[in-house]
Amino acid sequence: MFKSNPYHNKTAQWVVYVLFFGALAFVPVLSDDAFMMNQFATYGVFGMLALSISLCWGFGGILNLGQGIAFGLGAYGMAMTMQMQSQDPETSPMPPFMLNNSVEQLPLMWEPFWHTGWGIFIALAVPTLFCVIFGTIMFRARVSGPFFAIMSLAMLSAWYTIILDSQPFTNGVNGISPPAPLSIGGFEIDPYSGFIYWMVLFLLAAMTLIIKLITTSKFGLIVQAVRADSERVRFLGYSVSYYETVIYAVSGFIAAIAGCCWVVAVQYVSPAQLDVSFSISMVIWAGIGGRMSLLGSIIGAFMIQGGQSYLGDEFLATWLLILGGFFIFVVRFLPKGLAGLLESGLGLLVAKPAAERESAPGPVAGAKVQG
Amino acid sequence: MGILEIHNLSKDYSGTVVLNDFSLDVVELTLCCLLGPNGAGKTTTMDMITGRQKPSSGRILLNDNDITGLDEHEIARRGIGRKFQVPAVFKDLTVRQNLEVAYSRQTSPFKNMFRFRDPGMERKLDEVATQVGLTQRLAIEAGTLSHGETQWLEIGMVLMQDPQILLMDEPAAGMTEQEIDKTSRMFNELKKTKTLVVVEHDMAFVREIADVVTVMHMGAHLATGSIDQIEANARVREVYLGSEEH
Ligand SMILES: Nc1ncnc2c1ncn2[C@@H]1O[C@H](COP(=O)(O)OP(=O)(O)OP(=O)(O)O)[C@@H](O)[C@H]1O
Ligand SMILES: [Mg+2]
Repeated sequence: MFKSNPYHNKTAQWVVYVLFFGALAFVPVLSDDAFMMNQFATYGVFGMLALSISLCWGFGGILNLGQGIAFGLGAYGMAMTMQMQSQDPETSPMPPFMLNNSVEQLPLMWEPFWHTGWGIFIALAVPTLFCVIFGTIMFRARVSGPFFAIMSLAMLSAWYTIILDSQPFTNGVNGISPPAPLSIGGFEIDPYSGFIYWMVLFLLAAMTLIIKLITTSKFGLIVQAVRADSERVRFLGYSVSYYETVIYAVSGFIAAIAGCCWVVAVQYVSPAQLDVSFSISMVIWAGIGGRMSLLGSIIGAFMIQGGQSYLGDEFLATWLLILGGFFIFVVRFLPKGLAGLLESGLGLLVAKPAAERESAPGPVAGAKVQG
Repeated sequence: MGILEIHNLSKDYSGTVVLNDFSLDVVELTLCCLLGPNGAGKTTTMDMITGRQKPSSGRILLNDNDITGLDEHEIARRGIGRKFQVPAVFKDLTVRQNLEVAYSRQTSPFKNMFRFRDPGMERKLDEVATQVGLTQRLAIEAGTLSHGETQWLEIGMVLMQDPQILLMDEPAAGMTEQEIDKTSRMFNELKKTKTLVVVEHDMAFVREIADVVTVMHMGAHLATGSIDQIEANARVREVYLGSEEH
């Protein structure tokens, strides 16, 4: 029996987080299947996306159905960087697909990608900057809840169409498949190796722990208050739109990193990464795993994507139905997802003092700001 | 010259006039009570001062600076704190967390990301918790407080902000006799260092705390004076006849 729910114990949480990532770090030691390492690395990328959704939706209360924008832009940036590594200013200054589209000269927006450092910087900066601008416009105008979700979805569709229709610059529906792996300072990142797995896992673990730390700071407390009653927080002197924009942009930055890692691992990007259904899957991972828990969301992504690849082969046609049904079940009966199930499970182990068990909580005072 | 001056404030909601050329001067380190029957426009006046609503016309000056039409958080940062008529505390957070959030000297999200322990805040929190008598209740969820305690918590939150001017919308509503006594002692202590504007219907409470009383009626200024002058005022009596409260 515990005095209070161990689920809420800060030390216990840190121990679980560290153990979880520590255990995952040993996977390449146990297996040297290069194909599996690559596949697990992509799961790590999905984990990053789930983390970003958990931060934005679970922690910040901002339902974002357009996370594919930041993911896709990051991925395109990385794909362009890798593509240009295979080009030569003298002999072949232009990617082959451009020649097929009879483009005469390397488009201006491709120029910075000659330089790997600049390329990666742009791959991360552009999506983040987009989130800062779009977020500022939306949150200043106090767009929130389902309205923001719809706007983010509309934005996603707009980006999808732009990329699809800019055939000469993006190779349209075929996307970009850089011919060689990313090499940084002479070191080539082999996408079929333990290294890529460790790289993705390291980034995922580092970002998760940093976000976890931030949620325990004063910033975290203010965001909790914003989620409970954003109207009231304004009168304490905090700019709610600023806080919302920061969360949205940090979440977008994480998704951009995920996009970069994705292309390093699969050497491919296409408008499919900005498909509406993919962005909605991200929300489903977090919803099922437990959006209020960073780790829960990540595990949700692992479970669902893992299930999709291993069970999906047999159930291919019914997989989406199973997933949809499961999601509805979770939303209806487990609003805090599987992590919430664990929370209430551990709550049963708490020894309640007799007095507290008898008397119900006092009258609930306080309401949203009304007058 | 008041620390807070309201000049000819008007507000109408698509034709319905709620405030009509209302002016008010609040003198530093005094407690001004704002009275008026239901619907007189007291809460609306506070909405205008704190930026929750934008006036149709008129100006609001704080320390001779025009603050009309600024955003809520900008006005709060300039030193105006507000307690709402329906107590607005964060029910899911603990009493301590409610007070911590309200300590808003540092409002930048990036700086607050690296703020885990804050000795200045701890000291202020101890002081305020003692002042509002919630030292024993810090660890519980704010949603489980009694009505009177919730009022005190919100007053405590305003104190954590450490504003120059405190706007209190019906702070004693729903309190027991003893709680009201305690609150009036608290306010009399507060006005030594702060300027307060208090909306209240309970005349005994007003008598205890008010330095000056202003009465509103149908969005307009009706009378200003000491509590005795106001109670003797024929027009005020007329307005309150039949609508007397408590
Ligand atoms: N958003 C709005 N749209 C239309 N009318 C409004 C709006 N907000 C307030 N009013 C009206 O303005 C008038 C003044 O309301 P206000 O809340 O300021 O009164 P009050 O003096 O605080 O009254 P009480 O003592 O009941 O709190 C009321 O008649 C109210 O119906
Ligand atoms: Mg009112």
